This record gives sequence, C-alpha cells and structure tokens, in this order.
Amino acid sequence: MPTVTFFPSYRKIEVESGCTVLEASQRAGFNVNVVCGGQGKCGKCVVFIVSGKTEFDSQKFLRFFTSEELSRGACLACQTTVQGNVKVTIPDSTLIQEQKILIEGTEIGIEFRPSVKKYYIELSAPTLADPSPDLSRLLWGIQKSGGPVAEKIYAPLEVLRDIPAILRHSNWKVTGTIALVPGGYRLIDLQEFDTSKKLYGVAVDLGTTTIVVYLWDLVSGKVLGVASNYNRQISCGEDILARVNFARKNGLTKLQALAVDSINTAITMVSDATSIDLDDIYEVVVAGNTVMTHMLLGIDPEYMIAEPYVPVVRRALSVASNRIGIACNPNSGLFAFPAVSDFIGGDIIADILACGMGERDDISLLIDIGTNFEVVLGNREWMFSCAGAAGPALEGGEVLYGMRANPGAIEKITIDPGTLNPVYATINDIQPKGICGSGLIDFLAGLLTACVIDRTGRINMEIKNPRIRQGRFGPEFVVAWASETDIGKDIVITQNDVKSLIMSKASVHAACITLMKAAGVTCDDIATIYFSGAFGNYINKTNAITIGLIPEISIDHITNIGNGAVTGANIALIDRKKRKILDNIATKIAYIELNAEPSFMDEYTSSTFLPHTDLSLFPRVQKMLDECRLRRN
Amino acid sequence: MAPDIRFDWTGTVGSVVLGATKTEGGTRKISYRIGGGSTLPFLSGNASSPSPLVALEICDTSEYWSPVIRNYCGDLVDDIHAWSQAAETLYGADLVRLYLTSTKERNFSDIVSVKTSIEDVLSATGLPLIIEGSNEPKIDSEVFLKCGEAGEGERLLLGTAEASRYRSIAAAALAYNHSLIAQSPIDINLAKQLNILLREIGVPRDHIVIDPYTGTLGYGFEYSYSAIERIRFSALKGDADLAMPMISSATDTLTVKEVREADPKWQDEIAVQWEFYTGIAAAVAGAEIICVRHPRTIPMLRKAFLDLKTGTAGPAGLT
Repeated sequence: MPTVTFFPSYRKIEVESGCTVLEASQRAGFNVNVVCGGQGKCGKCVVFIVSGKTEFDSQKFLRFFTSEELSRGACLACQTTVQGNVKVTIPDSTLIQEQKILIEGTEIGIEFRPSVKKYYIELSAPTLADPSPDLSRLLWGIQKSGGPVAEKIYAPLEVLRDIPAILRHSNWKVTGTIALVPGGYRLIDLQEFDTSKKLYGVAVDLGTTTIVVYLWDLVSGKVLGVASNYNRQISCGEDILARVNFARKNGLTKLQALAVDSINTAITMVSDATSIDLDDIYEVVVAGNTVMTHMLLGIDPEYMIAEPYVPVVRRALSVASNRIGIACNPNSGLFAFPAVSDFIGGDIIADILACGMGERDDISLLIDIGTNFEVVLGNREWMFSCAGAAGPALEGGEVLYGMRANPGAIEKITIDPGTLNPVYATINDIQPKGICGSGLIDFLAGLLTACVIDRTGRINMEIKNPRIRQGRFGPEFVVAWASETDIGKDIVITQNDVKSLIMSKASVHAACITLMKAAGVTCDDIATIYFSGAFGNYINKTNAITIGLIPEISIDHITNIGNGAVTGANIALIDRKKRKILDNIATKIAYIELNAEPSFMDEYTSSTFLPHTDLSLFPRVQKMLDECRLRRN
Repeated sequence: MAPDIRFDWTGTVGSVVLGATKTEGGTRKISYRIGGGSTLPFLSGNASSPSPLVALEICDTSEYWSPVIRNYCGDLVDDIHAWSQAAETLYGADLVRLYLTSTKERNFSDIVSVKTSIEDVLSATGLPLIIEGSNEPKIDSEVFLKCGEAGEGERLLLGTAEASRYRSIAAAALAYNHSLIAQSPIDINLAKQLNILLREIGVPRDHIVIDPYTGTLGYGFEYSYSAIERIRFSALKGDADLAMPMISSATDTLTVKEVREADPKWQDEIAVQWEFYTGIAAAVAGAEIICVRHPRTIPMLRKAFLDLKTGTAGPAGLT
C-alpha cells in the first residue's frame, strides 16, 4: 500500500491506492478545513504535493489557485487521489485552528467541575463479620473517598451485573465512575484497578455544515485535541429545510445515522491522534440548532417547519450515548443543549452561555449572523429572542461579484473620499476574485462617507469619476480594474448589490430594534453587543455601525465570541454548575415571531436607510456623515 | 371656549409659501402660506389650522386625461390658456396644477414648448402654480430647469421628487427659488427618508411639500389616510423631518372601475362624489392641499371645509 508522508510534521500513514489526500490526512489525525464537505466547492483544503504520483484535475479548480501556487503543486486534498508513495505539505492555513477557550478567571466564573468523576478505591473483602453486599461496600467506599452519599447513587443493571466479578477479580481494587444526572448520581462504570487518570469527555458543536469536536481530559482539565468534520447529512440536502424534507420522504433513520457517523468520525479522529481509548470517554455534550439536535436524537422535526413552528422539546436532554450510537463508553451520558423554538436552538443557548449574558445584571445584545440571523436581548432576569432571514448578501450571495470568505475575496476596503480609489485586502493576499460579506460592509460604509451613495444607497451618477458608470445592470462602482483582478474582469458593485445589502442589514437592525422595543430599552441601556459566528470575527465594527447593521453603541463594547456554540458546549462539559442554568435560560427566553409582529415591517422600512431613518439612534454616525458632507462640499 | 386639544404636542407643521405677488417679486394676484398647524385640522376654535387649499389639475396634452373631464369641460381641455383661466374665474380653484403630459411622448425633445406652456398658464391666471414635470429620467434635468426658469420669481411648487429621482428637481428648485413636492409610496418612513435626502442636498425644509401618495377611495385610501395622519402626528410631536405641509392628489379617482363603467347617465355625478369623498377624507387626515380634476368637486369641498370650520359639522361638545 502507498505511504503518504505529511510535512512539516513528517507524520506517515499507509493508505490504499485511490484514497483521497483528504481522507489520508484525516486518518493521520489532521484537522483539514472542509467547509463544503469534500465536494471541491469551497477551496479550503489546499495542500501541496511535494513528490509522488497523485491524480488531480487542476484545470477544473483553477479558480482556487494562483499560478505561483500551482507551480508549487497546489491541489485540493478532497479532489486528489493517492496513486503511489506521496509527500504532501499541509499549510497551516488549511488546518482548522483551535479556538481559545477561556475557562478560569473569566468574568462569568467558569470553574473546572465536570459532572463525571472517577474514584479509585481499595475495599476490604467481605467476611462473615462484615457481610454487607457488594454494591453497598462499593458505594460506601466511593463516599468515603470523597464521592457523593452512597444512598444517592443509582447503579444501573448493566453495571450491577459486572460488579461481583470485577471486585473479586481485581482483589477489591477498583475505579468507579460516577456521573451527575438529572435526579441524582449514577454509577456508570466500574473498572479493575486504578484507571482514575483515564477520564475524558467531548464537547460537540453540531452544525448544519460542520461539526467541531473538542476532546477534554476531565482529570487535568486540559483540551487534548480538536477535530472537525463536515456534517455528512449534506448528501441529503444542503440546508435545514432540504433535510427536513428528506426526512419527510425517506424517514429519519438515514439522517440520524449520518449525524452520528459524522460525530463519531470526528471523535475517532481526535482520539486516534491523542491515543485515547473511546471507552474512556464518559461524557458527550452536544450543542446544535433545533433541527440538528432533533435529528441526532431521532425525534421527528417535521412539525417544526410549518406553522405554528413548535419544537418537540424545550429543555436540555440527557440520554445514554449508546442509545443513539455515539462512539464512546457505552454507559456514558449525552447531554443535548435545550432549544427555545425552531429557530432559536441549542447553538444559540450555547452562545448565551459562552458570552455569559444570562448571568449578569447589565443588558446584552447577542447577534448571530449567517444566511439566517438570531438575536437575543436580555440579562439574568429576562430575555427576548427572534430570528429571521438576513438574505444571502452578507455572505456574498446575490451580489454580482459577491463570494464567500474564500481565498481571493476582498475582505477589507477603505475608499479615499477624494479620488474614490479603494485600498483593499484580500484573503491570502492574492489577486481579487470577488468580495465577501465583511468587504461589502466596508464598501458600503466607504461609499456612504465618500458621498458616492446617498442614504438610500443610490449611486450619485452626477459624480465625474471613471469608477462610477452605467453598467449592464444599471449604475455601478468599479472596485478593482480587470488588470488588478484574478478573473480578468472589472470587479464592480452594482446598484442592485447595494440594495440587497441594505435589505439584509435592515432586517438585522429591525430585529434588534423590535426586541429593544419589546423590552423597553434603548441603545444607552445596552452594555455589550456580542457577535457570534465566523462573520463577527471579520467585520469592521465601526463600519457595521456606520451602515446601521447594529445599534450604535461604543465599539469598545462590541465583542466577538467566535464560535459560541462550541465554546458553550465546552463550558457545559467542564462546569456542571453552568449546565444547570441552561434550562432556566431556555424557559426564560421569550421568542418573538417577527412575521407576526405588526411593527416589524415599519422597523424594517425605517432601517432601509443609511444608517437609519431615525438619525437620533445614530448620533455619532450622523455627526461623522455631516462632517464628511461638509468636506465634500 | 374649546378645550385645548394639543396634548403634549410641542411641534408645529412648518410653513411653505406658494406663489408671489407683485410686491413679493412675482406676478400672482395672491400668494399662500400653507402649513403652520399645531394640532389636528378642523378642531373648532383652533385658528392655527386654516382651510385646506383646493387645486385644479389641468394638462397640456389632453389625450392622457379622463374622458369624464373632457366631457364636462369640452374644448377647454385643449386650450390650457382658457382652461387655467376658467380654473380661477369659473371654477373657483385656489391653485392650478399643470401636468406637462406632453413630455410623456416617446423621445420628447421639444423642451422650448415646456416654457411656452408655463408662460401661457402664468399669463392666463393669477393663481399660484403647481407644475408637474416629466416622468422620464433622461429629460428630467432639462424639463425641470426649463420649468424653474419659466416660473422664476413666481415661487412655483414643482413636482415630483421621489427617492429614486430627486436631484434634478431639487437643482431646479434651488436655482430658481421654487418649492417642490416630495412623494413617497404611502409610508411614513420613506417620506422621512426622502425629506432627509432633500435636506442633505440643500433643499430647505420650508421648500418641501410632502405627498404621501393618495390611493383613491376603495383602492387603498385607508393606507394613505393612515400615512397622512401619522406624518401629521410626527410633525406635532416634534419630528422636524416630517414637519412639512402635505398635498394629496388621488389621481386614479376618475379611472377606477366604478367611475369608468358607471351608467353614462350618472358617470359624471359618481366621479364628482368619488373625488369629493377622497378629498375630504385626506383633508381631515391632515393634507393642506387637495387636488381635484373635476371642476364640480371644488365648490363641494369648499362648502364642506367651511361647515367643518364653523363647527356646524364638527364633533359634538367641542363648539
């Protein structure tokens, strides 16, 4: 069998001929970024073939590479097959970067106190004088070594059956694993001799597209590894609705199996890489959106996607992992985050946990933007939430030269107000191919402050500048001339693009205002705005306020929490006390259905202005724009 | 004594001056200062809310005009001089609103005729004028500048600016000191947005008349009513960007099915009633200028306004 050697780590693995480089790399324990699920669509899994025989149709994927990269042997790992011994370099940018999880010393007071614990005990053998039963002897031993009160520990039949043999076989030296479950404690495993150092748990972010798994050492409190995998349900439909429809036609079994399989692959990848036995994983925490969680647990989500949009459960669920087939200790528990509605799922509850807004007195606004957006407003006492469609514009969709945040996307732009020449930066510093969401926001803010567009976003065609012209689709602004681009065409922003962007930003802002009005708070009352999701990491906060995407507050009070779902899952895994408040959060949140809110359309229309029709909501932006206009005149 | 129905309103509708008399630098017999209201219209004992003005709409190419009007006015409709004269002397309008329907013609280029038409109307009547310019972005700029130039000194009201095209009309209004109509599609926010856009390119607030767009009775008028009323409330509550007088023109009235397909015997009467009901309701909602096309509607509106103002038709207990 051919050997694949990966650089720079020199890690080697044998694979069968015809295996993709992606699969080989995953088996070798690398977390390669595959957003599209290995379909050759996202261009994230770029690797370089140093030597050896591979097959890759570079002509088909030219758009992802520069000629310089191609000359160095660039290819997409998911589309390249191994045909002999191969040496491959995996650049850092292709690997999923581990996200920093702040545990101790954060303001929300997370402590390392997992809900499973192992107790190594040495018991005295029973005698005629001391004839207490095996179980009592065992549980007392656990109690004596600092465990919970013996009477409060429940021992399930499966464990009970093994107790007598294990006790005697080990000569009364055993390790018991106790888990805190709803209603008390549970003896979930008994092993011979001292295995108390082998106690692991995984936190899972179950996304519609991607799954991220963190493996924790639940004794030392350290992250041992991270793995990510695409959600194999993609083969049954790209988005949630498509998958629910698939379930409706073909049943839930396949989708459930695919979700479990995707999680298991990720768990196996990380446990292989760290040489940990799957049986030593005693706890799994999953944060996913409502439909994903339902599907994982095998609960029919069909009724959620039609009016009146009711989910089946609204509380956290603890189940035995083996009942749904997760690859870990058969007696381990799986904890699934609660959901509020079909749109506000466990991922958002995890966001709330991650940012700590549910434990503070001051008021926070949490915004999670993707194709859909979710907004939560509140504090420890109360919370309002809503969700809606932001439209694809903020992710680069439905914009003529829009694209996702892939290499070659213009991600940052400033526009010189005098010459109107833009200065831009692209992802990976290559020639531009298009513009992604963060670039579009910068662009809109730049055009507004340069007075190229008015507050409704109309391009002022009276300005004499070669960049402003009538294009095939109406007025447009040239961002990059063909000679600067990778696509051999001028990259432009059209009047329609600007309109789509304004509609997207208006729906997000209107949702924020709707919640604020429902709660009776103003911008001044909001202590912090949290951005969750990848989007928040890249956008320029000042520009997001300038265009009125979010309410105007001081940018020092805007925080990106990154992947809040995975952070929240991690917190719930390592701190049992935090897990307790989740149900409380889920039942506390009032969900506002925007479609049924008569004032929403009004708020939306007033938000379709830059930054907003009610300028008093954006005093600083207003002052800045007034100054810009004065300079211009 | 009437109770003070101003609640916590602190705002006042701004005023706009239309027309200029000789002493004011123009040639009109009369000029109007519209707006200035500090409460709702037609509340007895509130002198700050004068009767709305009634404008008669005429056009320079009558093929675009309703047959109802052509039947009633006869040959007048093909002679804008005589038509505008009649508006003042025969029909008793307060204002004349001239639609330059000729500019609708494909590839219209006779910009000089715009000037001739306006001068013709100005010479025929002493009433202040509202001029509706072209509806075609390509010729907007030229047409509006020509309108502005032809009426220089007369403090015309130029129509119509919309969010998608406001720069040319604003330029003409600014250059020749005219006011303009800012029209938005039955939405208070869009109305405010347009006013901000106009302010930001230099049009002063006292040169803007809001047209919230009036759908005719039975065809969305209730939305227009609500928009007019909300704009008025916002002005009274102190929103300066909405504190302008309003104009209402239910231009579809004479072409709705009920009028179009009416028994010929009653068509004229139904048309007048339809215009009257729409107009009176718009006035009650808060519009300061009511535009009509049927001459017979004018005295009916005027009588109704008078009745409302004298309190005989006002709410019980407020006289």
